[in-house]
Amino acid sequence: MISHRHRAALGVVTLLVAGLACQKQKEEAPVSPALVARENKVAPRAVQLYYETDDQLLAPEERAIPLPERDAVALSGLMQAWLAGPADPQRPRPFPSDTVLRGAYLLPNGDAVIDLGGASLVAGWQAGSHEEIMAVYGVVQTLSANLSEVRRVRFLVGGQVIETLGGHLSIDRPFVPRTDLLKR
Amino acid sequence: MRKTIIGIALLALAVAGLVRAQILGEVTLNAPTGQVTVRSIEQDGVLFVAADTMISAFGGQLVPDPQGYRVTIENQQAVFGADNRFAVVRDELIEMPKPPLIVEGTAFVPLEFFQALAKAVIDSDLAWDAKTRLLLLRSIPREALSAQVSVVDLQGLSKIVIQLSGRTEYTISRRGAVYVIHTKNRLQSSVTERTYEDPLVAHVAVQGQEVTIQLRSADLTGSAYPLDDPFRIVFDVRAGGSGTATGASTATPETREARATGVRTIVLDPGHGGKETGAIGAGGLLEKDATLQICRKAAAELQKRLGMRVFLTRNGDEQVPLDQRSALANQHKADLFLSVHLNASLVRGAKGSETYFLSLEASDDQARKAAEAENAVSASSGPSAGSSDLRMILWDLAQQEYLKESSRFAELIQEEMNSASGVGNRGVKQAPFRVLVGATMPAALVELAFISNPDEEAKFSDDQYQALLVKALVDAVARFKVEYEAKSVSLLGSEP
Repeated sequence: MISHRHRAALGVVTLLVAGLACQKQKEEAPVSPALVARENKVAPRAVQLYYETDDQLLAPEERAIPLPERDAVALSGLMQAWLAGPADPQRPRPFPSDTVLRGAYLLPNGDAVIDLGGASLVAGWQAGSHEEIMAVYGVVQTLSANLSEVRRVRFLVGGQVIETLGGHLSIDRPFVPRTDLLKR
Repeated sequence: MRKTIIGIALLALAVAGLVRAQILGEVTLNAPTGQVTVRSIEQDGVLFVAADTMISAFGGQLVPDPQGYRVTIENQQAVFGADNRFAVVRDELIEMPKPPLIVEGTAFVPLEFFQALAKAVIDSDLAWDAKTRLLLLRSIPREALSAQVSVVDLQGLSKIVIQLSGRTEYTISRRGAVYVIHTKNRLQSSVTERTYEDPLVAHVAVQGQEVTIQLRSADLTGSAYPLDDPFRIVFDVRAGGSGTATGASTATPETREARATGVRTIVLDPGHGGKETGAIGAGGLLEKDATLQICRKAAAELQKRLGMRVFLTRNGDEQVPLDQRSALANQHKADLFLSVHLNASLVRGAKGSETYFLSLEASDDQARKAAEAENAVSASSGPSAGSSDLRMILWDLAQQEYLKESSRFAELIQEEMNSASGVGNRGVKQAPFRVLVGATMPAALVELAFISNPDEEAKFSDDQYQALLVKALVDAVARFKVEYEAKSVSLLGSEP
């Protein structure tokens, strides 16, 4: 028979060993995006969001938004801020108003992948080419100007590579920033 | 008593070990080269396997870099990141069910990544049998493709078009005046060899996995690029050059102009159609209707005034995929392609017309990289059109060959539109318009006016205004025709 004292001692040892095993598992747990986000210091950052102006060119709007330090994690927050549209509520959003961000990923080669959703985009955005160019390059300029690791931007709709967003620009290839579309 | 305590402690350790075993396990990779044990993790129904062992079994190298991991197998590359569901395999985006895990310094990557890698890079199928915990790596047997060869003499440039019944990858080697295109699939052809009267190409033979091209002289240079729908390998032969086979063709303007004999056929593309309305005016005008009206009128005028053959990419309210529009122009061997659109902007006052030709600002750099990649590998063993980016670059080159002419065509349209519409000059611009990619002739896209502007939209209901726009388009085509044909005559006349 085991005395109460010994039982208690055994219980402690068992818990200790199990605890150590769990601790080991915890150390080996995958680095989830949520954990990465927690580990990144989130602080207000001065960013420039690019939208079309009355000159029909892209110009930056200065904002301070809370963003994690790492570009890969900041990408989503920056994109959400851009999608919300210009500060002046009278000025419309570049993409259809029901456009949502399904995901934003930064690939090791510097490609930012922006996965958009929303009924209008999925059904086929009926846009003019100018409208489409301003929206696409507004994103490209905003991401590349604020996140040094972003070199190119790829777009997906509903997680899929599609022909175009608004019937004009070929989006099956990555976009690079264009200075000729910027207001000087 | 002490023994009991130790026994229970050992039991607890064993339990802990079992808990851990549910996380870290093993699978067996059954590859043609033998069996390999690979550490694995199963999490929420997703199987992760150790990247280092897998890549080594695939005959490649895995190198960590600050952004993630880089895989190199036979000059082909793939990358993945630790906290990223997306990976790149030969520049194709691969979506994995979960991001890779880093455990004790080893990258564990979802099986889906290795399946994509096996298929794209080592032509193999990677199957998972959960019961036996076996990963089976098998080579994919390749089907035989039927091949048809045609040779076209374009005065200074000869084009050999090898049309295949399916896609394949190929490499090119050269020995003197003989080029050999080696394909991954076996080829079948009703005509296995043929001698040609062509000034640059003497003989073409199709046998096994090779197309052998005998040129007239070792001084001639060949370059190849693939085209889709149907899949073709186009092999251009020109006089001079470095003699290195490259997928990134860079024809000189002189040789291209020398092939020109006239501007006789034009394809007009009324933008949008069917459920794709295009932009919608403030008063309800649909872009798809207005572009069709203008194109029909322009077609009649082009036939009447210039005697041209004119084709429309659609002659009703139909939805036509963008790639099909330029493909139609290629099928008709058109000398010009013009896509007609109406614009829209969020800025209410936007007005005027603008004309575009294909932008290669992004792909200039890519084309250089492609050419470097092509040239870096030896002519006998290098990969040809491999990655999707490379495929896109080569497809872009179809239009790139005509960029100078496309730019001039766009300029002429813009000049005529400026004087017809009387509004400010928005100029000639470039953009990566899908409808222009792949057009193998001078091509432009014109935005006639902004229908988001009520004033410009209203003008469209006026027949006289439409006639002005049609006249502007036809005048631009007429000017281009004169310039282009004069240049061709001058070049042909200057030949020795």
